[in-house]
Amino acid sequence: MLTVSHLSKHFHDQPVLRDISLRLAEGEVLAVLGRSGCGKTTLLKILAGLETPDTGTLTLHGQDLLPVPPNERQMVYLYQEPLLFPHLTVFENVAFGLRIRKVKEAEIKRQVTELLAELELSEHAQKAPHQLSGGQRQRVSFGRALIIRPRLLLLDEPFGNLDAQTRAAMQELFGCVSRQHGITSIFVTHDSREALTVGSRLGYLERGVLTSFATVAEFIQDPRTNIAAELSFWENIQRTANLSVAE
Amino acid sequence: MKPLKPILPLYALLVIGLPLAGLGYALLGSVGVVGPLAEGFTGRYWQALAHDTGLLYAAAYSLWIAVASVGVSVGLALLLVLRAQPTLRRGPLPGLLYVPLVMPALVMAFYLFQLLSRAGWLSRLSSQLGLTGSIEAFPELVQDATGLGIIGAHVLLTFPFLTLLFQAIYQESRLAELGQLTSTLGASAGQFRRRVAAPVLLRRAAPTVLLSFIATLGAYDIPLLLGRPYPQMLSVFIATKLQRFDLRELPAAYLAGFLVAAGLLGLILVLLRVLKLKVKN
Repeated sequence: MLTVSHLSKHFHDQPVLRDISLRLAEGEVLAVLGRSGCGKTTLLKILAGLETPDTGTLTLHGQDLLPVPPNERQMVYLYQEPLLFPHLTVFENVAFGLRIRKVKEAEIKRQVTELLAELELSEHAQKAPHQLSGGQRQRVSFGRALIIRPRLLLLDEPFGNLDAQTRAAMQELFGCVSRQHGITSIFVTHDSREALTVGSRLGYLERGVLTSFATVAEFIQDPRTNIAAELSFWENIQRTANLSVAE
Repeated sequence: MKPLKPILPLYALLVIGLPLAGLGYALLGSVGVVGPLAEGFTGRYWQALAHDTGLLYAAAYSLWIAVASVGVSVGLALLLVLRAQPTLRRGPLPGLLYVPLVMPALVMAFYLFQLLSRAGWLSRLSSQLGLTGSIEAFPELVQDATGLGIIGAHVLLTFPFLTLLFQAIYQESRLAELGQLTSTLGASAGQFRRRVAAPVLLRRAAPTVLLSFIATLGAYDIPLLLGRPYPQMLSVFIATKLQRFDLRELPAAYLAGFLVAAGLLGLILVLLRVLKLKVKN
């Protein structure tokens, strides 16, 4: 479905992305793990059409995406912050994509009401964004993207600003909604646990080079993901705790 | 907190007490209770108001000037902020926008008078170039019936200020990022400007735009120099009445001053309430 071939990008002679290639099938969620400044945001922005690559090709269902402007790609880019429209209610924020497509009022009402119920936001429909919690705002942002049935959802550390509990709840919600709607997405994160929770496929981006993993085991074993080291750390803690109990 | 206690009533007295006292004095003056030739309570100045169209005409004229000046200024500022972001972020324009802000209103009026009057630079230039047959053939751009000169001066003073304000809101509200987001949601640049950027800017700037409107409505220096003896803007109309040698005119001037001040206060209260309701919704 989505094919990225030999994508490269420089900013002021500084390479940000180097020869990135990937393929993503319909309904897959590619979780890309990477530290700050590794090129994650640039990759997503190029896919969304907000940046242009220096070299490489992008195709979606065989269609060359490079000449297609962002507003015609049907690929929604979600920022780390929800960035809701401050002058619109929750209902109108979610309805935005339908209104600009001049969908009939009755249809807008039906679709938005259904989606708000699915995202457990029905009781907040008439609230302003500033009246919502961080998790609720992120759900509205998610709903605003989902309503236009994007061909590809690009998520740039969307739950990075949430507390651990809300973050876990949002990851679960994302997984449920993704499966239910068959959403294809690229989910960028710096949290290996989040990558493992949401991703059906896994990748690691470092200094502009993307490594794709065929299996979860490969991802865990790669020392750059730090998962093996973390597992060993917790095992040591557990062992020490057991020993002190035994003594 | 204790040291603030005596300052607060003093401040309240200065910003509320004294203006209200002035308003009360004007009201009493308009019914003949106070003033140099006060003869005791009378309602004749209020009754005479029904036959005097001068105040009403001045109010309508001021309203036109304020609506046109603030409307054009808001339009220009929006146009610049929404369509010329690269120019506003670098180059000489941001610095140049501050220049009119340090200029007193009277200086701006004088400059426009020199530039646009029939004896001014533009008129002489166009006459020299043969664009107009004589200096008198140059169109009336100042001291004209529609108030073009007054509107022009106010626009020159207000639009740079509003542009800087809108630009600050643009950055603080992260409208550039919202623009990118809306484009991935399928919106064109025009739809982003109409449905997101303009409403966000106008809503956040509404109290300041309202204050600019009130300030223009009550402006004195600019209409004094660039306006005609008739029609006059409110401040000039009242000042002219107050400064007449005939002291019998004073109560009518007090009445006009009272009505204008009370009207403006009422307008501020109503508009603030409307704005508050809109923000709540």
